[in-house]
Amino acid sequence: MRARLATLLALGVLLALAGCGGGSADPPKGPAQSADAIRLGTKNFTEQYILGEIYAQALRAHGIPVELKSDIGSSEIVDQAMQIGSLDMYPEYTGVLLSEIAGVSRRPPSAEATFTAAQKFERTRGYDLLAMTPFSNSNALAVTHKTAMKYGLRTIGDLDRIPGGATIAAPPEFRTRFEGLVGLRSRYMLRAKVVAMPIGQQYKALNEGRVDAAAVFATDGMLEDEEYVILRDPRNLFSFQNVTPVVRTSVLKRTPGLAKAVDPVSAKLTTDAMRKMNAQVDIDGREPAAVAKEFLEREGLL
Amino acid sequence: MRSIFRRSLTIRTLLVGGVLAALLGAVFAVLVVAVREQQAAGRLALRSQQAIGAGSALETSLVNLENGVRGYVASGRERLLEPFRTARRMYPAQAERLSRLVADEPRQQAAVRQITTGINDYVALWALPLVGLADERREVAQSVLATGTGRERLDTLRSELATLFARERSVAAERERRADRRSDTAVVLGLIGMGLVALVALAMWLALRRSILRPVERVALATRAVADGDLTVHVPADREDEIGTLARSFNDMTDALNRSHQELERSNHDLEQYAQMASHDLQAPLATIDLYLRLIERRLPDASQEELVQLLAGVGGSTDRMRSLVRDLLHLARVGRGEPRRETLDTRAVLDRALENLAGPIEERGADVSAGPLPIVSGDPGQLSLLFQNLLGNAIKFSDHDAPHVSVTASIEGDEAQFAVRDNGIGIDPQHAERIFQPFQRLHGEDRYEGTGIGLAICQRIVSHHGGRIWAESTVGAGSTFRFTLPLAGESPSPPAPPTTTHDEAETSHAAAA
Repeated sequence: MRARLATLLALGVLLALAGCGGGSADPPKGPAQSADAIRLGTKNFTEQYILGEIYAQALRAHGIPVELKSDIGSSEIVDQAMQIGSLDMYPEYTGVLLSEIAGVSRRPPSAEATFTAAQKFERTRGYDLLAMTPFSNSNALAVTHKTAMKYGLRTIGDLDRIPGGATIAAPPEFRTRFEGLVGLRSRYMLRAKVVAMPIGQQYKALNEGRVDAAAVFATDGMLEDEEYVILRDPRNLFSFQNVTPVVRTSVLKRTPGLAKAVDPVSAKLTTDAMRKMNAQVDIDGREPAAVAKEFLEREGLL
Repeated sequence: MRSIFRRSLTIRTLLVGGVLAALLGAVFAVLVVAVREQQAAGRLALRSQQAIGAGSALETSLVNLENGVRGYVASGRERLLEPFRTARRMYPAQAERLSRLVADEPRQQAAVRQITTGINDYVALWALPLVGLADERREVAQSVLATGTGRERLDTLRSELATLFARERSVAAERERRADRRSDTAVVLGLIGMGLVALVALAMWLALRRSILRPVERVALATRAVADGDLTVHVPADREDEIGTLARSFNDMTDALNRSHQELERSNHDLEQYAQMASHDLQAPLATIDLYLRLIERRLPDASQEELVQLLAGVGGSTDRMRSLVRDLLHLARVGRGEPRRETLDTRAVLDRALENLAGPIEERGADVSAGPLPIVSGDPGQLSLLFQNLLGNAIKFSDHDAPHVSVTASIEGDEAQFAVRDNGIGIDPQHAERIFQPFQRLHGEDRYEGTGIGLAICQRIVSHHGGRIWAESTVGAGSTFRFTLPLAGESPSPPAPPTTTHDEAETSHAAAA
């Protein structure tokens, strides 16, 4: 009897001891960010998210490590990030590059001329441009079908028919850009008011009638809808905006297969393909990564 | 195991002591664990506090980063960038410290990693580019700042930090609760253990009293009784342990005491009987001598020479009888004393010596004594000679034949020799076959067969003194055979058998003989 009690107590002690095991060992530190991974940045709107995923997945498929930094900011910020060495590569629009980064207000007459001029500029700063896409995501001004009918709007210049001047929903940089308020005044003598809002919200503002027009991109998925009308630009205010990956030249030299991985991808990016992908994310609410993967697979690029 | 436990009091005591020690050890261990548990909880709670402190410092740096950038972009004044520069210098160490402090919580550590990456990105991909942009085109930077995502990123990071703090607090609280619960359990276990220790100690004391002190007390009481003269006292001896051994030894001791006491009493009684019978047998010839002496005194004046000679011969006869009686008593007394001599003897030679001493009676009766092959035995030559002499003497004496015939034969039975002395005499009634070996036992009147009645008693004592047995086989009128055994030479003698006669038998025999 006594022996049994002792056994029970000893058992109890053992259980108590077992219950209070010491703290676990230090958890493993996260994998160190690969030193030679390409830091790929994107600007802050849907098309850029999709492009970032497409290029990143294509590069990874070729065994080139990529660190994707999505949603950084406008071209100015991304360009600064490139300059201070925080990024190695980002997809840029040839026209934006030329007008906003290079500060060239002259509109080259063709997509190729725009690309060449931009490439010339970037090469002087230690960057290079890879092959550009077939699609051009030009800036544009869109109005609702109803507004167009009401005021008989067909070109950008027709906007001055709106009493009291047109209000335009646009990202804040629209105010200071040539391809914005500045160009509207100088090319079309248009007195317009900008209602600044983050990219993507301008369609909502347009639908709600808070603005008369909206600064949009030609490849916006929303434009699949017949509800909107894009105003023609007879005075070439909005330049060619084909996408070209901007890459730090040293990185390009260091990474032999980079152009070979990226160029075939760019070649498949048509306006139709891009607009459909944008629609899938913006309207259907799909993930950019999934949409990008589907595109690459469909085109046989993975 | 079970039997060892039952057999050894020492092992039982050790076992109980061991259990007691183990219990005390267990209680101590439980308390030690409780104390350590509390200490550990205190340390962990302190660590959680430190982690929250480090996180707050990191948050302050984060706010300084944003404020510095905002101030600089808005005003372009270099001075306002100072908090940004300081915070940028300090935050990696702060993040590192936070990571160390939450090292034992994988989820928290992952959160710290995520926050650190977030701050790195905020600095490298937002704040620094914005500062660069402000240096080149301040109004562009300002417009970016106005609607840019800097504030959102900051808020995201701050809310991640807040989640981290909340989790850290709940982790600390949970640790403290757990430590409290454990230490409560430990205190209860400790109290139970103490209770058990007390119970076991009490049980041990009771068991000790029951299994050691009580039995020893009983033995002490019994010893007192023995000292007071009660030799029949026994103590219970059914246990198998040391106490059982003590009780058995005690019982053996009282038994041995009791036996030797009875033996002493019996031999005392025998001696009394012996003295009584001896004096009785000595009185008869003394009375005869006294009678003759009175006759001589009365008849002396006118007694004839012939008559006097006849009377004196009567005195002489009684004197001879007294002498032989005294001699036999002396033999009997001597035989019983001390160890017999052990010599290797040819019984043939011993027999021859006896026959020499019996030459007179043999001649007188015309007896015929024959002997078969006889063995070599171990014994006292004088005593064995006397043995043969008495047996042969009896065989010749108790015979009505003109020519008595006696044969002596021997056979080997195991490690002893068995002798047979056979006669063709008057025989013995079998009902007396035992009695005849007691002193002073005569079956016949002295007027018919003279003798002291001690001869066979001497024989019996000699044989038993040598470790053998003697008995008689007989048929009345057809002769008797006396058989006895002796150890063969070279055999170690077995101890003398105790006398087979009892006090009561001796008394009745004596009465019959009288």
